[in-house]
Amino acid sequence: MREAVTDTLRKHRSVVLAFALAIVLFVIGTVQASGFASWDHVRTILITSSFIGLVGVGQTLCMLTGGIDLSIPSNLAGAAVLTAFLANGSSASLLWIIPLVIVIGALIGLINGLGVAYAGVPPIIMTLGMNSAVQGLLLIYTHGGLAAAAPTNLVNFVNGNTLGLSTMVLLWIVVAILATVVLSFSTFGRKLYAVGTNPAAARLAGVDVRRVLVVPYIVSGAGAAATGVLLLGYLGQAFITMGDTYLFSSAVAVAVGGASILGGKGHYVGTVAGAIILTLITANLNLISLGTSAIDVAYGVILLGTVYLASMRMRSGQSPRLVAMLGDARTSIAKRWR
Amino acid sequence: MSVTPGVLNPPPRADRRPRFKVGAGDLPLLMAYVYVVVMTGVCLIVSPDLIDGPGAMSANFSLVVPLALVCFGQTLVMLTRGIDLSVGGVISVGSALMATHLNAKGWAVMPEVLAILVLGTLIGVLNGVIIAKTAIQPFIVTLAMWSIWDGVAFGVLPVEGGKVSQTLTNATNGNIVGIPKSIWIVVVLLVVWRWLRQTRLLGDLVAIGSDENRARLLGVRIDRRKIEAYAACGFLAALASIWVTAQTQSGSPIGGDQFILASVAAVVIGGTNIFGGKGSAASSMMGAIAFLLIPILVFALNLTSFWGTFFQGLILIVAVTFNSLIQTRSQR
Repeated sequence: MREAVTDTLRKHRSVVLAFALAIVLFVIGTVQASGFASWDHVRTILITSSFIGLVGVGQTLCMLTGGIDLSIPSNLAGAAVLTAFLANGSSASLLWIIPLVIVIGALIGLINGLGVAYAGVPPIIMTLGMNSAVQGLLLIYTHGGLAAAAPTNLVNFVNGNTLGLSTMVLLWIVVAILATVVLSFSTFGRKLYAVGTNPAAARLAGVDVRRVLVVPYIVSGAGAAATGVLLLGYLGQAFITMGDTYLFSSAVAVAVGGASILGGKGHYVGTVAGAIILTLITANLNLISLGTSAIDVAYGVILLGTVYLASMRMRSGQSPRLVAMLGDARTSIAKRWR
Repeated sequence: MSVTPGVLNPPPRADRRPRFKVGAGDLPLLMAYVYVVVMTGVCLIVSPDLIDGPGAMSANFSLVVPLALVCFGQTLVMLTRGIDLSVGGVISVGSALMATHLNAKGWAVMPEVLAILVLGTLIGVLNGVIIAKTAIQPFIVTLAMWSIWDGVAFGVLPVEGGKVSQTLTNATNGNIVGIPKSIWIVVVLLVVWRWLRQTRLLGDLVAIGSDENRARLLGVRIDRRKIEAYAACGFLAALASIWVTAQTQSGSPIGGDQFILASVAAVVIGGTNIFGGKGSAASSMMGAIAFLLIPILVFALNLTSFWGTFFQGLILIVAVTFNSLIQTRSQR
């Protein structure tokens, strides 16, 4: 029994390390400011993390296959703005607006995915162009990006409690469990890892590589749209730049979680830790009154650092999982499955 | 445009390296010229003043210059199958530094201008070293660098504004022999490209992009060449930041971000192979002109300017999909 426990811990060492880092950051914050460990502040931290975590689902899937989704910012803002404008303050129409907005997000993701999987476009260029195109549509629709207020029902839902927990945190837990089940225990999860590790081998093993590659972008599009709606409720209003910070934070959260993928079977669980770590770092930097500037620098350094550590461990032969994410000139996106 | 894209004569020496070849896959290299001709034609019919009205050419080309500089560097990087997203950060930092520190007049501006160019080059070298010496993908490295240098720019200049030396603004305006300086710069860049594509450096970059392992076996110093490509890209981005800041006469900590999409789009519209190994900076500059014609066309057609943002994203998606389909087909 004890062996089984130590074995699991060793396999998921990076996830454990990531959560340990989160705890260390939390302790640092607590030492600096007395209110840091208060229940209210913990709740705020978890809610803030949940938004990174929710867009992180799609980003995790994309990055597992060696891609990335840079269209998250305008997709997220687009969903929020569209919801606010369509609802126009009334809460009754949300029942059809929210599904509609999520479907639109999924469709944008579908176009990304088709371009990446079937036309062989590098994900970074495809999603960069999509970000601009969607942002343009959004500007046209809003005549220049005026802010719009959220329907009260949505505000109450997002800021409320369910079963004694914050609704957002509860929602995040449910999504995390779902993502874990899909990644670890479903055929699709296994196919995704297979494609991410070695597309040629996956194809020989009978996986329809292209079809698998489309899915992460659809999930990311729908996820960004859903997060946009929730963020609209949390912030109380929608504006065009509301998604901008999620470009870096989602990628960095996954990279921190990506390091944990190397340890063994961890995955979205790592992104969860990554999202909390990022929020704690932001909170700590705010405590010592370093603003946006320091946060941007920190994100960049963390992204480089974690991916570098992951690449070192991959070289030492621990796990081939991150092959998809790390550079190898021979496995270019074009030649990988053609 | 004395350089015919796609028809790139192989230089006589270093025959053992892969050379530019002309084939079906070269069609994308010609598309930029088609875009430019069509869009200019439509503009000339609908609203000719926007193209050949008084001062229009000079104004249009002063927007082309920074993008031409950045996409020149981006082309070199993309030839090696890389991408540089940090150009946005470099331009923002350069702009922020100039708006806060550059008050000198006359030749006294030179040391600070040089310092910004050195900084840009060093950022490029840093990109290159990390990409060459570690196994991290270029887009992750430069994405991180984009974030880092945007952060630094915000630290230097939290809001748009500042003051820029009038000397610089004067230096970028005006004519030489009756032709705007901005057009001269594009001509100089074309000449530089014509010279560059006969050099060993470019042959090596093409070799790396075509097949890195083969290039290594052929004795190409891969690490050094990659670092040189990213250093050139950083240098050119710093140069672009100087031009933009001098023209707008104010600094912006986020002014560089637009150049990421723009430079990638210009290179892709120009038909440079996104999988490395084939491309032309001359075509990229044509791509830059096509990209910048979009807002002009949108204005000429009497649409709100926001359509420009939409079409600029759309043209990137369409062009990259078109190129990918052709290039992967011709590779097979």
